[in-house]
Amino acid sequence: MLSLQHISKFYQVGGTRNFVINDISLEVEAGEFISIMGPSGSGKSTLLNIIGMLDEPSSGYHYFVGETVHQLKDKQRSALYKKYIGFVFQAYHLIDELTVYENIETPLIYQDFKSTERKAMVADMLDRFQIVGKKDLFPAQLSGGQQQLVGIARALIAGPKLLLADEPTGNLNSKQGEEIMQLFKKLNKEDGVTIIQVTHSEKNAEYGSRIINLLDGRIESSKQL
Amino acid sequence: MIRNYIKTAFRSLQKNKGFTTINVLGLALGLATCLLIVFYVVDELSYDKYNVNASRIYRVNEDLKLGDNKVQYAVCMAPLAQTLKNDFPDVENAVRLKRISGMHVTKGTESIIEDNVLFADPSVFDVFTLPVIYGDKKTALIEPNTVVITEAMAKKYFGRLNVVGENLIIDGNLQKPIKVTAVIKNIPEQSHFHADFLLSMSSYPDSRSTEWLRSDYNTYVLMRKGADYKKLEAQFPQFLRKYSGGQMQQELNMSYDTFEKNGSFFRLNMMPLTDIHLHSNLTVTGELGINGNIEYVYIFSAIAIFILLIACVNFMNLSTARSANRAREVGVRKVLGSARKHLMFQFLAESTMVTFIAVIIALAAAMLVLPAFNHFAGKNIVVNSHTLIWLAPSALIAILLIGFLAGLYPAFFLSAFNPMQVLKGKISAGFKGGALRSFLVVFQFSISIFLIIGTLVIYNQLHYIQNRDLGYNRNQVLIIEHAFELGDHAKTFKQEIKQLPGVTNATLSGYLPTTSNRSTGIFYKEAAVDPKRSLFPQIWSVDEDYISTLAMKIKSGRDFSAQMPSDSNAIVINEAAAKFLGFTDPVNKIIFRSSGGPNPTYKPYTIIGMVKDFNFSSLRDNISPVVMQLNADNSSLSIKVNTANIPALLSQIEAKWKDFTPVHFQYTFMDQDFDAMYRSEQRIGTIFIAFTTLAIVIACLGLFGLAAYAAEQRTKEIGIRKVLGASIATIAGMLSLDFIKLVCISILIASPIAWYLMQKWLQDFAYRIGIGWWVFAIAGVAALFIAFITISFQSIKAAIANPVTSLRSE
Ligand SMILES: Nc1ncnc2c1ncn2[C@@H]1O[C@H](COP(=O)(O)OP(=O)(O)OP(=O)(O)O)[C@@H](O)[C@H]1O
Ligand SMILES: [Mg+2]
Repeated sequence: MLSLQHISKFYQVGGTRNFVINDISLEVEAGEFISIMGPSGSGKSTLLNIIGMLDEPSSGYHYFVGETVHQLKDKQRSALYKKYIGFVFQAYHLIDELTVYENIETPLIYQDFKSTERKAMVADMLDRFQIVGKKDLFPAQLSGGQQQLVGIARALIAGPKLLLADEPTGNLNSKQGEEIMQLFKKLNKEDGVTIIQVTHSEKNAEYGSRIINLLDGRIESSKQL
Repeated sequence: MIRNYIKTAFRSLQKNKGFTTINVLGLALGLATCLLIVFYVVDELSYDKYNVNASRIYRVNEDLKLGDNKVQYAVCMAPLAQTLKNDFPDVENAVRLKRISGMHVTKGTESIIEDNVLFADPSVFDVFTLPVIYGDKKTALIEPNTVVITEAMAKKYFGRLNVVGENLIIDGNLQKPIKVTAVIKNIPEQSHFHADFLLSMSSYPDSRSTEWLRSDYNTYVLMRKGADYKKLEAQFPQFLRKYSGGQMQQELNMSYDTFEKNGSFFRLNMMPLTDIHLHSNLTVTGELGINGNIEYVYIFSAIAIFILLIACVNFMNLSTARSANRAREVGVRKVLGSARKHLMFQFLAESTMVTFIAVIIALAAAMLVLPAFNHFAGKNIVVNSHTLIWLAPSALIAILLIGFLAGLYPAFFLSAFNPMQVLKGKISAGFKGGALRSFLVVFQFSISIFLIIGTLVIYNQLHYIQNRDLGYNRNQVLIIEHAFELGDHAKTFKQEIKQLPGVTNATLSGYLPTTSNRSTGIFYKEAAVDPKRSLFPQIWSVDEDYISTLAMKIKSGRDFSAQMPSDSNAIVINEAAAKFLGFTDPVNKIIFRSSGGPNPTYKPYTIIGMVKDFNFSSLRDNISPVVMQLNADNSSLSIKVNTANIPALLSQIEAKWKDFTPVHFQYTFMDQDFDAMYRSEQRIGTIFIAFTTLAIVIACLGLFGLAAYAAEQRTKEIGIRKVLGASIATIAGMLSLDFIKLVCISILIASPIAWYLMQKWLQDFAYRIGIGWWVFAIAGVAALFIAFITISFQSIKAAIANPVTSLRSE
């Protein structure tokens, strides 16, 4: 489904190139559930962003569902993203001006779902995450964990084929975290959603089918579970 | 999808209520002010356009040069109109108007003085557009002793409209009953002349004069369709030579050729009717009313544009500042799949929506203050369907244009960003990358400072010309008008008034510095007609108490004296006249007047004194030569009073007046007349100050918003700094500094431009102030002060906020 070949990403700091991603090659099959781990600053978020086409690598080849991503124009990339990918951000990135309900609904609007369909889908999602009671609140009125849940709900609403999650359980208590992991596992098993998550928790990482360890922008180890 | 946009837009506006209010109100205030100025300018530009044939009507003006004396007249010779019509096929019609001020019209037992009484040829109806309500315009003004009145006058004197066939008693020169032959609609406010009564020209004997060397009649021609007035003008020199040559030979004993060889000339030129109001200012010499000034139209237009710019800049600045806050929203939306064009549309829709609200508020506000504006601008502007014809589309264009411009930056700039960059917070750094915003702040503050300097200079100049030593004392001078009603008793009346306690002096003369009663004549340095050695001054008839009553200063020589019988051949001249004649000490010099005719005799006049120059026309102009001579002129009696109890004195004087004549007692005060002379200048000054104040308020409103925004942007930083121990003062200083720097740059930019332009403006005044450095100092300090107050309000608010709340909000 996804193939990265010799991907590098550097930032020019002063005169020197500072490699954040250093010659990473990675193959991901449809239906995999990958956990990315590594110390802070090792490049996990950067890698996830590149996979999600939100960030461009400095060099390397990037293929996704048969498309040559590094040759695509912005618009096409965006269309590809819209169609296949759901993204859970480390910093939630909810829209402050919209309610919980509207935040979750937004991707559907951009994908031209009818209003009645949207209603049903959002209601279903609110139900699933048990946040029906919060649907009319604004992000500022939610706790960090609740915002994270909304972020996840929003990522899943349009039924993505690839779910990218940057520390989705970072702000949740262990029970909530576990529930989310269960949900991911279920999505992966039953709906065939490919999942790549970044996590600091060994326990959560083990829900995946493969664990990749990053260190200084390189894949230090990769372990098939 | 659109609903979603509007919802977000609306909520984001609501969330930032403060900004939204400042933004909308600032723009509305700017637009409303601008609109008022546009009303004013449109009104000024619309003068005389009510005439259907406006584009074909011209007034004939006359330029006269006699030696070094130059005079411009708005009036021409009596036979000109008819002769033009006869001689030139391009002239379709011509009409003469002759204004007589202060005519008495009798209503019952009352005698009312009417100032807008004009004699007019019957062709006035063919040249000007004067809709007749009752009567026949073809015959209305043919017979002598007939009059056409406006509906307002019909109501005033008869209480009804159809008064054709009624009689009016209009005295002055005419004592017979005058028959009303037609009632016309009131002449529009936007007319360079205002007539309430049009008397038939045939009632005015002088109108049949065939003199070509005397100009008394405002003359208008209607050109044929398609005719070129320049071609007609080109034939005027030949035309004048033909008609005035003979009379010149006879009267001045000089051929037209010699006259011209001496560098003197007589010229006629044509002024388009629609130019008169704004481009003609020949007030002293035959203008029918007080005209406007194109310069003020330019100045006000410029102010309107400035205000509009400042308001729009504010709007853009605040919108873009706020949009930086929304960079994250843009990023998220993009990540979630929003196309760029959707985002652009969203921002444009939002700013158009806000502009729309502002325009509506502005329109409402302008309508609301229009009566007040009319009052202090001395205008009578009404908004009607005509106004809407240009107003509605302009408002629409304004909404679209301003909305577009304000939404431009976020629409194109933000939407183009790489979403990840935005989400990582690079763009929302907001102010640091605000080079455009800094530029715009400098721009609007430069304009504000320019306006402050301009206001100071204009205000000072107007103050200066109104308070400078005018060469006479206008205070405590009571003027009894229409003293000619006293006939032969005028002198006795004057003597009796002088006896009253509280009266220090009194003089009989209509030639006052504050009236428009003027006459001119020619003096020669030798007993020969030689224009090169001539003086063409104003000749004022005064009595021996004139100079002392008005407290004019004798520079050399002496005042007229009742004890000196020889003073009947004596004259007192002003400094300007002495200078013109080339006399350093004119006392005891003799100059001559010619009797005219083929063998003229020359009457010598001895100059017995020279008065210090005193102002008697627009303070823009240099003082021109004046010759005073002892002569009876009973037009008015000026009384210098010295009492606190003016009403008591007035009733005594009125009682005396009643002893002599039944005519209505009428008086004014010289200082009030003086103020009236400069009222339009004063009005302009007030309007100017009001508008610049508004401009500055609007600019500050913008700065206030920006400062508030900057403070908000840095809430977190401020919170952290406070936790680390920074004082309120340091934080407020830190926040203010950025803006103060910008204001300083603006001062540097605005000062030289303002200096240059104001210097140019001042050149128009004969008596003017210099622009001192203090003007710039005041403007600079004022701008800094205003800016500082505005900003520190926000900065201090941010600085004293509890750091815990501000840190949590991030
Ligand atoms: N704009 C930038 N300029 C320079 N260096 C950057 C920039 N953005 C990220 N980096 C660097 O890239 C490295 C990787 O960042 P990344 O966010 O991918 O780390 P991470 O592994 O996700 O860490 P964490 O677990 O803390 O989220 C960091 O060392 C960071 O300093
Ligand atoms: Mg990270």
